Amino acid sequence: MKGQAIKKIVEELLANKPGHDNKEGYYIIRAHAKREWGMGLSNGRFERVTTSRDQGMGVQAFTAEGVCGFASTDNITFEDGREIMERAMALAKGNTRLEAKANRKIWEAPLLREDGKKLNELDFDHFSLTELQEMVLSLHKDLMEKSPDIAWQTSYRQVEDYWCIGRSDGTLVSYTIPRSVLMHQGTVRVENRAKSFLVHFSGVDPSLLLKEKESGALMKKAIQRGEFARKVCTAPQLPAGNYPLVIDYGLAKGLAHEAFGHAVEGDHMGESVLGEEGKLKAGMRVAPPGVHIIDGPLEGDWAYQPYSANGLVRETVEIVKDGVLLNGLGDIFSAEEAGMKVTGAGRAESYAHVPLPRMTNIRLLVDKELPLEAQTGLMEEVASLRKLLLQEDLLAKEGKHLLLLGYRGGQVNPKTGDFVFQCDGIVDLADPSLTIYQPSIFSGKILSALQAIQAGVGEGCFDAIGTCGKRGQGVPSSGGSHRYLLLDQDENVTLGGGQ
Amino acid sequence: MKLVAQLEEFLHDRKANPASPDLAIRDWRIVVQEAQQISLGIKENSPGTVYTPPSYRKGEKAELYIIWEDGRLTQAQVQAPPQGSGKEYWFEQLTEWRQGSYEDPYGADIPEPEALPVVAVEDREIARILQGEDEVFFEQLARLLKNTPEGVNLNASIQGNWGYIHVRNSRGLAISYQQSQYGISFSFDSLVGAGFGKRRLIKPEEWDFLWNRTCSYYEALQKEGPEVGEETLIVMTPSVTGDFMRQFLHPNLVGQNILEGRSAFKKEDFHGKNKVFHENISLVVDPLRPFELSSYLVTGEGVPARQTVLVDKGTLQSPILRMKDAKRWGEPPTGVPAGSSGMYLQGAQEEPWENVLREIKDGILILSVLGMHTQNSASGDYSLSAPQSLRILDGKIIGKRDVKIQGNFFKDLASEKTRLGTTEIDSKPYLVIQGEVQNM
Repeated sequence: MKGQAIKKIVEELLANKPGHDNKEGYYIIRAHAKREWGMGLSNGRFERVTTSRDQGMGVQAFTAEGVCGFASTDNITFEDGREIMERAMALAKGNTRLEAKANRKIWEAPLLREDGKKLNELDFDHFSLTELQEMVLSLHKDLMEKSPDIAWQTSYRQVEDYWCIGRSDGTLVSYTIPRSVLMHQGTVRVENRAKSFLVHFSGVDPSLLLKEKESGALMKKAIQRGEFARKVCTAPQLPAGNYPLVIDYGLAKGLAHEAFGHAVEGDHMGESVLGEEGKLKAGMRVAPPGVHIIDGPLEGDWAYQPYSANGLVRETVEIVKDGVLLNGLGDIFSAEEAGMKVTGAGRAESYAHVPLPRMTNIRLLVDKELPLEAQTGLMEEVASLRKLLLQEDLLAKEGKHLLLLGYRGGQVNPKTGDFVFQCDGIVDLADPSLTIYQPSIFSGKILSALQAIQAGVGEGCFDAIGTCGKRGQGVPSSGGSHRYLLLDQDENVTLGGGQ
Repeated sequence: MKLVAQLEEFLHDRKANPASPDLAIRDWRIVVQEAQQISLGIKENSPGTVYTPPSYRKGEKAELYIIWEDGRLTQAQVQAPPQGSGKEYWFEQLTEWRQGSYEDPYGADIPEPEALPVVAVEDREIARILQGEDEVFFEQLARLLKNTPEGVNLNASIQGNWGYIHVRNSRGLAISYQQSQYGISFSFDSLVGAGFGKRRLIKPEEWDFLWNRTCSYYEALQKEGPEVGEETLIVMTPSVTGDFMRQFLHPNLVGQNILEGRSAFKKEDFHGKNKVFHENISLVVDPLRPFELSSYLVTGEGVPARQTVLVDKGTLQSPILRMKDAKRWGEPPTGVPAGSSGMYLQGAQEEPWENVLREIKDGILILSVLGMHTQNSASGDYSLSAPQSLRILDGKIIGKRDVKIQGNFFKDLASEKTRLGTTEIDSKPYLVIQGEVQNM
């Protein structure tokens, strides 16, 4: 269904609100149409090629007092829209039985009528599925030829997300987010130990396949990661302990996202280590001077979101400025209560989900940036990093100084501030022979980790992508930091135990 | 016209009357889900907030699989066509499906219809709730709020689903049945909680059991417990056992992972019936248990539900085989679990949890772990933080301790010292293991 037709239905629904009390109640209508093509190859063969379409409408209805109900349908028609508006309002009225907390903040939201700009050069179906299959198969075969002793899986996805958000005050916002991503996953086996790793390249349209065919940059990265993974298979275990650390930007994004982003979301302040009595602890020093954490939309980014799911402009937020906690990620409903500004942070997985405050692209930056000499190979870059730390007198003079490479995911308890992250492997930069170790769990207290930041190495890299699963809703996430981030040794940040 | 009827009519017609040789269909199958859902929630002691409002959802979605005359395959997810688009819509879709077709010599075939087992998967009480008699859910939410201890921050959700599953294929399979789902979960201060999910409503005695257990754990968390030592046993709660099974057992037993070399096990390990766990341990897939969430009548591929023994008395018996993997493996398809749900870990000497607990002199009860999804499934190795764990001394839970645990789950299941403790309500056992545990 075309965007203009969807917009027309949303406008008609808002112009013909159901019931007798339509002047007192309030509706937010979200119409969403998603189109996706995906394919996966394993060791030279297609495992799957899938096409999918998913569209529908969700309605959040508020009684005059501000008590809320929600309903959704898979159909975008005027009749279905009317039905779910009625159902959502009936649920809102039923909700008063629970003495539900009222929230009339949406009445204060500024009126907005805007259409997002086109972000992609190539349209979704610029290449047919047959052509895309040929292009992806060719990239996959290139990889297999260059590195035949690794088990390779290649996947490609392209998505087009169209949103139209209308509100009772006349707000009507529509935008399309195009996304595409190419991923290579490799599995190596040495001495009966298996290690897998993943590299990716994201963009807004299938032109990324043409770029990769020309440069082979992702293929080279995949092969270098494979060589590293092979060494990790037979590497020794690291003794548990506290060490001076260097983390790559994927891990830094994980730290910023899991540990700080979630802890400053407006709906979390009652249970956040960065909240007190339900309010953001604004003004609290959480990091050394010169450390900044920023969240905001970046055009062309995997997790780009120009408008909130409630029809407000999505703003860039300085969460931590110069080491001091400054702002949170506030949506229209929770910002004031959480002691933060409304920044348009509401985001939903689809029309069938209620929006929550959450991140778009989060980055951790340090004023003290050490330039890193560009290298073509992974281990050459690691050697260059060691050389730089020696030059700057930042390398540990005794014991180990550990570089953690490759983000494999993590988890944080925002209430207690405990975090754990996992990497692909570890290199001892203090050792001139750059000894490699098995990955080991990186854990501790989030505030200690932030306080331990010393400096950034290399330019900003903000394309560490993933999927954030807050409260069961999967939405794209991304972010990053300098190419590497230096952390001082801290008793509350450990690399612990074998893995 | 319902989506299932539209698709069935269109695919029958296209198979019988192909528009061109390129669009000739050899076989097809569809699975259509018509579902309605209602949910209620509590966030930080507030019911029905703007983030957890009473919600209603209705939807109709289909998965389609086509084997074209030239052997190429298509997989697609579809919805009802936009209003007023008529049959032209499906013809456009057919072209896109054909463009998206691919070659896979191991692609799944379309099964002939078989007799179906009798499995209870629908509770009419849930259907009535979806039809508007939803007082039960509001009463349950009110009960949670009323009984929550003073000073505790409660988060909770209640959800009910009801709908139809339609499975059709070109070999004559035509099944439609109703199924329901119910789920409730709650947590205190986001530290400790419980969940219940079945195809029927919770019974009063089940509610009381879960509530009382959560309250007792929460109370114990308010006191500091002594440090762990070298002799301290690791005790996994049923939900943590389920997390370990999802991370380490399920992916290693999926046929495709074994065939592609991504599993800890090889095909010959199954042929040789290799011993991988202790003889006390067995593992089965059972989709026939009444009212379990993972129970079903027939898979989306058209295969009737059946029990499958994966590990019998410690020895490998069968992988989990969907149609495609079964064809490649050379065996019939098996029962299919949904992650660890539907997989049952059984001990030859299971004991009631109360008895097991009484005999633990020195243990640490792991209520939850951080970072499970980051662990290497194929190796079985784990290294996890478990803040908010509970110390057990002389058979009694006495206080909180933050710990880290590490070890290898396969070795844990192969150890003769591992014990399983069961309860009436939990589908997974408490697991007592001798592993490495450190104070945090």
